Amino acid sequence: MAGLGMKAARVAVVVALFAIWEILSRTGIVDPRLLPSASDTLLTLVELLQRAGIRNDLAVTASEVMVAFILAVPCGALIGFAIAENRYFAEVAKPLLFFAFSIPKSIFLPMFILVFGVGFSQKVGFGFFSTIFIVIMSTTTAVESVKVEHLTVARSYGATRLQTAFRVYLPSMLPVLLEALRISMIFNLTGVILAEMYASREGIGHQIATWGENFQMKQLLAGVVMVAVIAMTFNELIRSVETRCSHWRT
Amino acid sequence: MQPLANVTPFKPGSRAGAIQISNVGQVFKTATQDVVALSDVSLDIKPGRFVVLVGPSGCGKSTLLMMLAGLRQQTSGTILINEAPIPQPDPNRVGVIFQEPSLFPWLTAEENVEFPLALRRIPRSDRRAKAVDALKLVGLEGFGKRHPHELSGGMKQRVSIARGLVQDPPVLLMDEPFAALDEQTRMTMGDELLRIWAATGKTVVFVTHSLTEAVYLADEVVVMSARPGRIVDHLTISLPRPRTYEMLGGETFGTLRDRIWRHIRKSA
Amino acid sequence: MSAATLRRLIVVSLVVLWELLPRLGVIPELFLPSLSSTIAAGWNDAGEYGHALAVTLYEVGVSMLFACGGGILAGAIVGSLPRPRVLIMPMVSSLYAVPLVILYPVFTVWLGIGSESKIAFAAIYGFLPTMLSTAAGIQTIDPQLLLAARSMGATLSQRLTRVIIPAAIPTVLSGLRVGGALVIVGVVVSEMLISSAGIGYLISRYRTILDSPHVFAGVLLVLAMAIAFNAAIKWIERKASIWQTGTREGQRAADEIQAGTIQPATA
Ligand SMILES: Nc1ncnc2c1ncn2[C@@H]1O[C@H](COP(=O)(O)OP(=O)(O)OP(=O)(O)O)[C@@H](O)[C@H]1O
Ligand SMILES: [Mg+2]
Repeated sequence: MAGLGMKAARVAVVVALFAIWEILSRTGIVDPRLLPSASDTLLTLVELLQRAGIRNDLAVTASEVMVAFILAVPCGALIGFAIAENRYFAEVAKPLLFFAFSIPKSIFLPMFILVFGVGFSQKVGFGFFSTIFIVIMSTTTAVESVKVEHLTVARSYGATRLQTAFRVYLPSMLPVLLEALRISMIFNLTGVILAEMYASREGIGHQIATWGENFQMKQLLAGVVMVAVIAMTFNELIRSVETRCSHWRT
Repeated sequence: MQPLANVTPFKPGSRAGAIQISNVGQVFKTATQDVVALSDVSLDIKPGRFVVLVGPSGCGKSTLLMMLAGLRQQTSGTILINEAPIPQPDPNRVGVIFQEPSLFPWLTAEENVEFPLALRRIPRSDRRAKAVDALKLVGLEGFGKRHPHELSGGMKQRVSIARGLVQDPPVLLMDEPFAALDEQTRMTMGDELLRIWAATGKTVVFVTHSLTEAVYLADEVVVMSARPGRIVDHLTISLPRPRTYEMLGGETFGTLRDRIWRHIRKSA
Repeated sequence: MSAATLRRLIVVSLVVLWELLPRLGVIPELFLPSLSSTIAAGWNDAGEYGHALAVTLYEVGVSMLFACGGGILAGAIVGSLPRPRVLIMPMVSSLYAVPLVILYPVFTVWLGIGSESKIAFAAIYGFLPTMLSTAAGIQTIDPQLLLAARSMGATLSQRLTRVIIPAAIPTVLSGLRVGGALVIVGVVVSEMLISSAGIGYLISRYRTILDSPHVFAGVLLVLAMAIAFNAAIKWIERKASIWQTGTREGQRAADEIQAGTIQPATA
């Protein structure tokens, strides 16, 4: 794996990027009104986090994300299992799913607004819609990752259905499932934030869109950094759990 | 595929190469330590001989072949092929065949065989003619238009041999060319190789882990010891040619194989 | 019934349901106008939609040039140099977690609400996966092939043009598939957010005046674009893939990309 030197080099790259940003803006090579300096942006970020309104926005977004996620994952997993367990279903559904997966989901945003109005349920609905296809697809992959030999061995030792489920399926699928959860979360977050940016009265996506429309660059960049950091932290967190759970995989 | 029966033993000709290896050593410098892969290897190979290298895994057989092919430079000693050193690959003097057929999957069998000629900008019609001849020689007439994934393992290795032969190099190096094949295919491929060798008169240096294969194919068997690789025995196989399946059960065959096996067991 | 037949049946019945459900009043026409009224709406304003399609296609084309050209180049460099690869790849895949759509307002401030901001955004959107899959493709080239070429006396540039590039083609293609799809998504999304032209813009404008048939005419057009793109890629893949069965590694990389394991979120 990557040594200490590599990690240091990565930190150096990030620091260098921020330094370039700072210099570009400070020296006026780039108009500071278009690109406020890195330090100004970070100060704005700290200031933003102290505002009750912003914290409320974050909480709204977080709850939308959570609800959509909690709804989408079991539904998607169930459908995914149903498809993977049956060869015929799989053959019928997979190309359709791939296609559904590849079309821009955003074109259905207006439909969600028309049906749900602008609000919490519309965000959750669109978050659900953006997530469910990837959940279905990853579940299918996870089920398919269970080795037939392992199932045969379990059966030859007289394992019951329940035992097979808990002792073969679950441990085999765990790493893939965690990976699926991580990616689903990314899709989910993207969906909710897009829905907020498109039409909303609150939420961090709405704030970012508004700052953009009002040319408030400092707040806008601070918001971008904030969302990026939250998303990446969360991502790395799941990934570390993932590595711990999949130590037996070679 | 022609049967083996009426093959006459080969008489050294103009397209056979002489190989002189004198006091060759190879040291790999890795991050942690220096690995002495080969030390003080000397070997003289007369034109047209079929020489088989055997030895325990990791003793440096592939390394030696890489140096003969000009794919790697020795750290000490000299290697001469037809009286000249080989500082870089020279397909006009040396053809190489690896364990994996290493065919380019996007080219047809014919195009694969033409590949080394295309690198030298030889006109298309000439190279097509040569490729067709080479494929015929390895018994793949009519398979030229197929892609590698449409060929069996044995056929792929035949294409690879044709590719090694297409420039008519005096020396053919083969690193465990049949190791990935099943035993039956392996036996037929051995016979095929002897036929091609007899027909073309190349000098062949052949690496294998199969002692039966070694004795069956070779004029001379060179036995190497484990790291650092050295030559510990050099036997002449006096069995008459053409070699036949019946010889495998004979007394001479057994004695020779035992002698090699004892060396390898001792050094591994 | 074969799987393909059933699949066709499902698609056909979806289309029929799109027509019937709104007509029978099961779904209000406001939520989902019937297929025929959608097509009629689009037909009546064909000029407007045609113009919007031209704008969108132009933006998609330019973005694709940047995303795919830049992505393939960067991927080839990163993939063939081990050190930068170890340095950069984890950072890039970490970037995947960021909902890139938040960058779009930044581009509108910098470049205005015309085509430039859409092109910049969509190009960045499509760049990462193209780069990652190209890098993966270069990495999975069988080193034995390079050794064989070297043993036949191939020079460095011959190895590049005759071995590395053809060997990387399947993975690069699947990168193009993902990258291109994302470019379409990026252009449409950004047009829907803030803009003054394009199909996305029409969808959003008709939405605000609750003109559902016109909204769905736009949706239909985007769907057609996605289908056309998929078909085009399939065609190219078939042309270039006689030998694909030969490389398990490349195939696996392509599968992974398809399965979304190395793909950023599409919105
Ligand atoms: N590039 C390298 N760097 C460091 N050590 C190497 C390198 N290549 C080979 N070696 C070492 O040199 C020794 C000889 O390797 P080589 O591949 O020639 O063995 P071999 O006789 O062909 O083995 P096998 O029968 O398994 O193919 C081995 O101990 C190997 O670890
Ligand atoms: Mg070897």
